Amino acid sequence: MYRGSNNNKRVCKDKWVMIMFTLPIVFLYSFFFLIPMLMGFYYSLTDWNGISENYKIIGFKNYIEVIKNSRFRNAIWFNIRYMVLLVIFVVIISLIIAMALNRTKVCSTLFRSIYFVPAVLSLVTVALIWNELFYRVVPVLGQKLKIDWLSSSLLGNPKTAMYAILAVNIWQGCSIPTVLFLAGLQSVPTELYEAATVDGAGRWERFKNITVPFLIPVLNMVIITQIKSGLTVFDYIKAMTDGGPGNATEAVGLLIYKYAMQENKYSQSIAVAMILFVIVGIISIVTLRTTSDKQVEGG
Amino acid sequence: MKLEEQGREVKRKSINIGNVFTYALLVIGLIIILFPFYITIITSFKTTEESAANFFAFPKSFYLENFKAVVHKANYFTYFSNSIIITIVAVLFILLFTPMCSYAISRNMNRSKYHKFVYYYLLLGIFVPFQVVMVPLVKYTGSLHLNNQFGLVLLHITFASSQAVFLLVNYIRSVPSDLESAALIDGCTIQGAYWKIVLPLIKPMLMTVLVLNTMWIWNDFQMSLLILNKSPNTWTIPLFQYNFKSQYTFDYNMAFASYLIAMIPIIIVYALMQKYIVSGLTQGAVKS
Repeated sequence: MYRGSNNNKRVCKDKWVMIMFTLPIVFLYSFFFLIPMLMGFYYSLTDWNGISENYKIIGFKNYIEVIKNSRFRNAIWFNIRYMVLLVIFVVIISLIIAMALNRTKVCSTLFRSIYFVPAVLSLVTVALIWNELFYRVVPVLGQKLKIDWLSSSLLGNPKTAMYAILAVNIWQGCSIPTVLFLAGLQSVPTELYEAATVDGAGRWERFKNITVPFLIPVLNMVIITQIKSGLTVFDYIKAMTDGGPGNATEAVGLLIYKYAMQENKYSQSIAVAMILFVIVGIISIVTLRTTSDKQVEGG
Repeated sequence: MKLEEQGREVKRKSINIGNVFTYALLVIGLIIILFPFYITIITSFKTTEESAANFFAFPKSFYLENFKAVVHKANYFTYFSNSIIITIVAVLFILLFTPMCSYAISRNMNRSKYHKFVYYYLLLGIFVPFQVVMVPLVKYTGSLHLNNQFGLVLLHITFASSQAVFLLVNYIRSVPSDLESAALIDGCTIQGAYWKIVLPLIKPMLMTVLVLNTMWIWNDFQMSLLILNKSPNTWTIPLFQYNFKSQYTFDYNMAFASYLIAMIPIIIVYALMQKYIVSGLTQGAVKS
């Protein structure tokens, strides 16, 4: 790189500068990410409750106990259902909104600005506002419209609480995917549509054969980000139901928190966290594999 | 001729119907988006009696006591300044450290094993959700007496680094190194070349990192809950809101006033810098 003044001293000094440049981040990351992670793994092999001075190593007993525990299985099942529904709804709704926005000319900037607002708000604020709405407003609307399942609080019913949280997540979570889909739609050359129309292709055929292939990269991204947010949902649940009613909305993230902070099951809590890590890892590898395959097919 | 005209007529009509349908859909969406804001605004200006009489009606007068109560009784400004300080300090250090690190990595990745290792080492963090490390992390920071605002800033820098480095390394590698090489040959130091040449060139990506992390840190709840929840005078706005809810469960007019007051700063910033915020947040999603 420095062919000019072949000065060995300088090359050596430059090497050091380049290493120094990385040190602040490397130190912080090692101290506050790697060490806690390794410590966590170690504690997950012990019976430590987080407070007492004595503990002993018990191997993988925590993991076995956790997997046997119905509360854990309930939490995993909650996350998987939640994630699948979140991905489906966010993809469909934001794609529809993006296609509608793409067609509008009047007021389109205004529409776009407002549709993006939820993305800038904190999840807690949104959750707390909807929490009030679910208790005070939605039941009133339900009674007026004579819809039975809406007439009492959705969050108070174990059967509907998850869907209420999901609705709030979708309300906020569609903003960014909508902008992404919109950018994807605008990348499709209009000549292609014109040519296809001349060739007699119907609306559905144009959508399937022109729009969708252009959207596949965006689609992959949206799916991956939503999978991650579905598997690690925390803020909404903590602010709205705190896992209740019963354990109906106890997601894995919340279970980890409660075990460690409220129930003195410190080492088990980390075992749950490690299992979550493995699940997230497997799911992301599988989705990355399948989506990159599709990308090749889609061209 | 006639047939063609008829065809055009039909087409125009179908387009019109399509347009009406599109706008109807968008307006319904708009109502769904705006409804919670409407309720928040009207409720925070009403007295409890007024809300009890009719929840959906417009406030009869401009009742400000709810806001006064939130600001005075609940010390809103303390939490506001806590949030501001934490966000600004953390983002400044993120913008100081991560581009340096990314620059070193991207210019040495192919020649130095150390830099290549650092890159993949940092990348690991993208695949590990925060929930996996949070429990041992809090014990650890507690033992270092870092469960305070300073500790929170350090954690924000740490957990922002993986994504920021990933975004920046990819960006810097796409920027040709000719200019810096020329400057280096002319006797400029690496620090000088980085500061004067590289940083201005990567401004767009720095902006993305800035927006992403400002939003993320300002709105963060989970990490603040774990680190700060035990000492109320250090709370950030999201934490204050969360705790305010349990303190004032009955006075929901005040609760709504607190939500409104918490949303105002970010909505003002959004109104002023919409372009940067939209592109920053979406770019962040695209590239990682």
